[in-house]
Amino acid sequence: MMKRLQTSTWVYLLIAFVLMLLPFVKDDRWFLFLMIQIFVFAIFAMSYDLLLGYTGIVSFGHAMFFGIGAYSVAVTMSRLDSTFSSFLLGVVVAVIISGIVAFLAGVLTLKLKSHYYAMLTLALAGMFLYIAERWRSVTGGNDGFTFRIPELPGVLQDHRNVVIYLFTLLSMVLLFFGMKRLTESPLGRVLVGIRENDQRVESLGFRIMPYKVLISVVSGVIAALAGVLYAVSLRFVNTQVFDIEVTLDALLMTIIGGVGTLVGPILGSAIMNLSHHFLSDLASVHWIFQRWVILFGIIFILVVIFFPNGIVGTIQKKMHERKMKQRVKQVEKQSAKN
Amino acid sequence: MELFINLAINGIAMGMLIFLIASGLTLIFGLMSVLNFAHGGLFAWGAYSGVFFYVLLDNFWLGLLGAIVTGLLLGWLTELLIVRPVYGNHIRQILITLGFMLVLTEMLKVVFGPNIINAPTPEMFQGSWMIGDITIIKYRAFIIAVGLILFIVMYSVLKYSKIGLIVRAGVMNKDMIQALGVNIKLVFVLVFMVGSALAALGGALFAPSSGAIYAEMGLEFGIFAFIVVIIGGMGSIPGSLLAALLVGLANTFTAYYMPILSMVVTMIIMLIVLIFRPQGLFNISGVSNK
Amino acid sequence: MTQPLLRVEKANTYIEQFHILQNINFEVQKGELTLLLGRNGAGKTTTLRTIMGLNPATSGHVFIKGEDITSTPTYKIAKKGIGYVPEDQGIFYELTVGENMRVAMMHEDDATKERLEWSLELFPDLKKFWKKPGGQLSGGQKQMLSIARAFVNETDLLLIDEPSKGLAPVVVEKVIEAVEKIKDHTTVVLVEQNFYMANRLGDRFYILDDGLSVHDGYMKELNENEELKRKYLGIG
Repeated sequence: MMKRLQTSTWVYLLIAFVLMLLPFVKDDRWFLFLMIQIFVFAIFAMSYDLLLGYTGIVSFGHAMFFGIGAYSVAVTMSRLDSTFSSFLLGVVVAVIISGIVAFLAGVLTLKLKSHYYAMLTLALAGMFLYIAERWRSVTGGNDGFTFRIPELPGVLQDHRNVVIYLFTLLSMVLLFFGMKRLTESPLGRVLVGIRENDQRVESLGFRIMPYKVLISVVSGVIAALAGVLYAVSLRFVNTQVFDIEVTLDALLMTIIGGVGTLVGPILGSAIMNLSHHFLSDLASVHWIFQRWVILFGIIFILVVIFFPNGIVGTIQKKMHERKMKQRVKQVEKQSAKN
Repeated sequence: MELFINLAINGIAMGMLIFLIASGLTLIFGLMSVLNFAHGGLFAWGAYSGVFFYVLLDNFWLGLLGAIVTGLLLGWLTELLIVRPVYGNHIRQILITLGFMLVLTEMLKVVFGPNIINAPTPEMFQGSWMIGDITIIKYRAFIIAVGLILFIVMYSVLKYSKIGLIVRAGVMNKDMIQALGVNIKLVFVLVFMVGSALAALGGALFAPSSGAIYAEMGLEFGIFAFIVVIIGGMGSIPGSLLAALLVGLANTFTAYYMPILSMVVTMIIMLIVLIFRPQGLFNISGVSNK
Repeated sequence: MTQPLLRVEKANTYIEQFHILQNINFEVQKGELTLLLGRNGAGKTTTLRTIMGLNPATSGHVFIKGEDITSTPTYKIAKKGIGYVPEDQGIFYELTVGENMRVAMMHEDDATKERLEWSLELFPDLKKFWKKPGGQLSGGQKQMLSIARAFVNETDLLLIDEPSKGLAPVVVEKVIEAVEKIKDHTTVVLVEQNFYMANRLGDRFYILDDGLSVHDGYMKELNENEELKRKYLGIG
C-alpha cells in the first residue's frame, strides 16, 4: 500500500516537472494562457471535489468564493499599490471573507438535507452577483476594471506570463498534495464515512457537524485562492466571476474527471478548457459548436447516469477490480495446490 | 393608499406566478423526494411555447394550451430519461437535473434564437380598470384569478379526490400505498407531468406581463421557486402559496421603496426561515428534512 | 397433496449488503393461520416484506397459488388478494380514518362495502373516530385500522406483522379476538413475539433464526417441545 502511494506520488511529481519545463519549450502566449486557465480551474475544481467527492455536499454557489478571491486581490491591488505586500494583503482578505461566508453557510444548512446547502449556496451566490453588479464604484460592474501586478526585478515584460504560469502551476501542485494529505488523513476518512453513511459515523461517536463545516470552510478558502490566481493571471476582473456558470464549470470538471479523486478535477479542467477552446473555433463550421453547452450538458447527463465515477474514478475502479480478480485467482490456485 | 394597493396587486400577481412554479416543485419533492433543478427550465419553455402558439394560432387560450401540452410532454420526458435512472440518490438527482437545466436553456436558444422575444398581451386584457382612485391592470387581475383558481383546484383535488388521497398517502408512506395495490410509479409520472405543466403555464402567463422573454428567465424564476419551497415547507401546497405571496409582495414593495434591497430581501426571508424554522412555515409531517 | 396457497422456496434477500434471509423455505395452506416465530432480528419482518415484493428476493422463489411472484411489483401482488399489516401499521397519519380506508379500497362495489361494514362492527372504535386523523389514534386503534384496511379488499392471504407490539394486555386481547374472527374468512400469516397470543391463534408454526428457517410443525408439537421454546423463543 505504502509503495503504491509512493509510485503515484512520483508519477505526479514527474508530470509536474514536465509541465514546468513546457513554457521553455513552447513559449506561445495563447498556449501559456490556456495552460494557466487549466491550472486555475483545476484548483477551483479540486476545492469543489473536496466538498462533493469527500463529503457528499453539493454546492451551487461555489462561484461566490471564486469571485470573493478575485475581487479581494483585484480591489486591494488597485486601491493600494501593485506591490507584493498588497498582493499578500489581498490574499489574506480573500481567505478571511471566504472563510467567514463558508462558515456561515455551513453552520446554517449542513445539518439539513443536501438540498438545503445546494439551494442556500445558489441563493447566496445570486446575492453576491447582484451586489457586485450594483456596487459599481468598487466592482466596476459588468465592465469590470484592470489592475497592475507587481514588477518582478530581473524579469522581462515578455516573460511575466512564464512567471505566472510557474506560479499557478506551483500553487496547483502544492494545493493538490495538501488536499491529498488531508483526504488521506484520519480526518479525511471520517469525511468519507460521512459521505457514505451519516448515521453510522455519528453512532461511532463522531459529531459530524464540525467536520462538515470545517470542510466547507477549507473548500471555500481554496476556491477563493483559485479566484485570486484567476484575477492575477488576467490582470482584470468583472462580475462574471460570480456567475453561476463558473460554478457549473467546476461541477462539470469534477464530475467528468472523477468525483472524489482530486486528480479527476485536474483532468476535467484540462478537458473542459481545451474543448471550450477548440469547440469555439469550430463555431464557423457548424452552429452547434457555438452552443457547446448543450453538448456538455448532454455529456454531463450521460456521465452521471452511466459513469458516475467519472474518467479517473472509472479507471481506478477497473484497476481495483482487476487486482481483486488476480488476488482471487491466486487464492484459488493456492487452494487448488493444497 | 392608491400606490399601496397597486403595489400589493403587483406583488400578489408576481406571487401567483411564483406559486405556479413552486407548487409543481413542492409536489414533486414531497411525493418523490426529487428536487428537480430543471423545473425552472420548464417555466421558460412554457413562456416560449406559449408565445409561439399564441402568435402562430392568433389565439391566447390556444397559446396557454400549447404551453400546458409542452409542459406535460417535457415533464414526461424528464421523468423518464433524467429522473428515473437516479431515484433515491439525492446528489446524482441534483447534478443530473441541473445538467438537464443547462440543456433545456440552451435548447431554447437553438429553437427560438438567442435574442429576447417580445410577448404580446391579448387584447381583452390590455389596459386597466379604474375603481375609484385605484387602477387595476387587467392582465394582473387575470393572473391573480388564474392563480387562485388553480390553488383551489389543486388543494381540493389533493384533499378530497381519491387520486389526491393516493398522492398524499404516497408522500407519507410509499411502501404502504403500494402494498394497498397502488402503482405509485405511475402516479409519480402523472404528478411529474402535472407539476411540469403548472410551471409551463406559469411561464406562459408570465410572458405577457413582462412583455419580453429570454432563455435565462428559467434559472432566475427557478431560484425564486426553490426559495419559496424552502420558506413554505417542502411538500405543502398552502405553504407554497403563502411563501410565494410573501416573496412576491416583499419583492414588489422593496423594488419600489428600496430597489437595492429587492433581490436581497428574498434571501433575508429565507435566511430567517432557515435559522428559526428550517422545516419551513408549513410542513407535512410525512416528509422529514433531517 | 393440495397446492399450498403460499410457497416460499429457497428465498435469499439482501438489504443493502446484509444477507437477511438465507434459503428460507415455508408453505402456507389455505384456511390455516401460520405463525412465524423467532427472536428479534431473525428475519420475520423481512420475510413478509419479501412476500409483498417490498424487499424482493434476489434468488429463490415466492409462489402464490402456484404463480411465481418473486419479482412482481408490490402493487400487483396486493391486487392478487394479499393484505399487509406492517410492523409500524403503516397508517397515513394526516389522512382521517375514513380516508385511510378509502385509499385502500381497490373497488367501491357492494362486496367491499359489506366487508367495510363488517370490519366496522368488528372495530367499533373506527366508526367512532371516522373523521379523526390516523396519527391521533391510540396504538391499539392504529392496529385495528391497519387490519381493517388490509381486509377491506377481497383478501385470500393476510400478512400481519407483530400486532401485539407495544400494546397493553387488555388491547392485545381485543386484537386476538379480532384476528380469531378474521381467520375464519381468510388465510393468515402472523409474525408474533407474544407467545400467549401466538399459542391461542396458530395452527402451524415456523421458527426463523438468523435468516434461516430452522423448525416447523403444528402448534401442538411446539407446546410439547420445551427445548425448542427455550432455544429459539426464550420461553420456558
